[in-house]
Amino acid sequence: MHISDGVLPLSVSIGSYAASALLVSWSTRHIRSENLPRMAVVTSAFFIASLVHVPFGPTSVHLLMPGLAGALLGPAAFISIGLGLLLQSLLFQFGGLTALGANTLIMGLPAMACGYFFQRFKGRTQLRQSIVGGAAGALGTMLAAIILAILLVTGGEDFFGVAKIAVAAHVPVIIIEGLISAFTIGFIARVKPALLQPSFYKKTKSIHD
Amino acid sequence: MTEIMYMPVWLLPLLVFLPAAAIFKLMTGLRTRVDHQHISKNERDWSVPDMCEDNRSSFMHQWDVRFKITTIITYCFIISSLTHLASTITAIGISLILLIISKTAIKKVLFRILALTGFLSMLFMIMPFTVPIHPGDAIFVFGEMHWLQLNFRGLILASIIASKAIAIALLMEPLLSTAPLPVTLHGLSRLGFPEMLAQMILLSYRYLHVFSHEARRMSSAMIVRGFSKRTNLETLKTLANFLGMLFIRSFERTEAVFIAMKARGYKGRFPAPADLNLRATDIFITTIWIALGAALIIYDRIIL
Repeated sequence: MHISDGVLPLSVSIGSYAASALLVSWSTRHIRSENLPRMAVVTSAFFIASLVHVPFGPTSVHLLMPGLAGALLGPAAFISIGLGLLLQSLLFQFGGLTALGANTLIMGLPAMACGYFFQRFKGRTQLRQSIVGGAAGALGTMLAAIILAILLVTGGEDFFGVAKIAVAAHVPVIIIEGLISAFTIGFIARVKPALLQPSFYKKTKSIHD
Repeated sequence: MTEIMYMPVWLLPLLVFLPAAAIFKLMTGLRTRVDHQHISKNERDWSVPDMCEDNRSSFMHQWDVRFKITTIITYCFIISSLTHLASTITAIGISLILLIISKTAIKKVLFRILALTGFLSMLFMIMPFTVPIHPGDAIFVFGEMHWLQLNFRGLILASIIASKAIAIALLMEPLLSTAPLPVTLHGLSRLGFPEMLAQMILLSYRYLHVFSHEARRMSSAMIVRGFSKRTNLETLKTLANFLGMLFIRSFERTEAVFIAMKARGYKGRFPAPADLNLRATDIFITTIWIALGAALIIYDRIIL
């Protein structure tokens, strides 16, 4: 769920812009600059994937995927998510332009946490990788819901009810997201395991060097 | 003093559920119609710089892109800081006038407003029932159901947020579609936005269309093989394979794209798409626009 314009107080929306800008510049320093065009292409794939609707009873939910983005992109996920949200806001009005900083924090911080979690615990077997991937997916959505609630609550006590219900609405998404992430990571582990190594990251040597 | 108004129970469905259901029905109906039109109609690809002059032309099209971006974004932040319903509705009025002057395509504006309805209708459903009761609030209680209190202040708060979001959303089309995207991004990087990030936006925008095409192709292949979405584990597994395939193809594609870019002499920058010249009218429009924003703030904070 993306926050629209006009919800957050001015200080919070400007503050989260500043925090996101700092994290983006931190994130760029950990990526080799020639990898940025490649990341742009991967970002658009994530963008398309986030538009996929998963049926849930009579309604459907769309995936957030901070966990998957973190697992596949590592620290680069923050830029990728910021970019994706900027495009979503500019093209489709999902999430307001003035709330872009806040929305980037909501999705980007969990992605970085999940990226670290996945790389730390992924192990070697396919089964373990998909279980850890699923846990990362569920964790990412849970963290996103928590950060969303915290940011909503900065609007004052009038928003407590909205924050509570927003968190409750994320519970089915957490389960679906966890399962989908587990299966997706399992699929990638079978088909192209090299992708689960942290890509775009400074420490890994590219084959072109 | 808190005013409590007692209403008969039968008014509850009439005043709350019926309008909510009607709005929901209207929005979903409109959305499916817009979706169908959106897919069938071949829209202009912004990632391709237009070679000939667009026949639409207004002061927005000629306005220097650097000034346009800074002015409109500052103005959006001004709108988001308004606190009264009267001033936010005035802001919608101003946005509508600007929208008409800038001669942008009205269909895309409608599409943006529709995208907002999900979040905003959630606020309208939740806020009237959850905001804490302050002295002076008007409370509606239906029959003997004291656990369900409709607070009129919550309704007003939700309306303020909704009108701010709409006033800003109405300005997005004039901001973006009055210049080709590469020119807008060029202006953004001239304003100090990192050039690398501007290029990434351009590239992702380009490949967005490529991958959405790819995703549509893959999903029609799945439908041909008898896949239909249901609420079960099998659907999740299939969708996960679909996503995994999309990611793998995108990673493979990046290699090809990057090698092709290198082969064409890419050294971290694209040639500048336009020369930006500053004219006196650019500064003039900016001054007027910012003055308008200041007037809104004064109206909101001092007069109201």
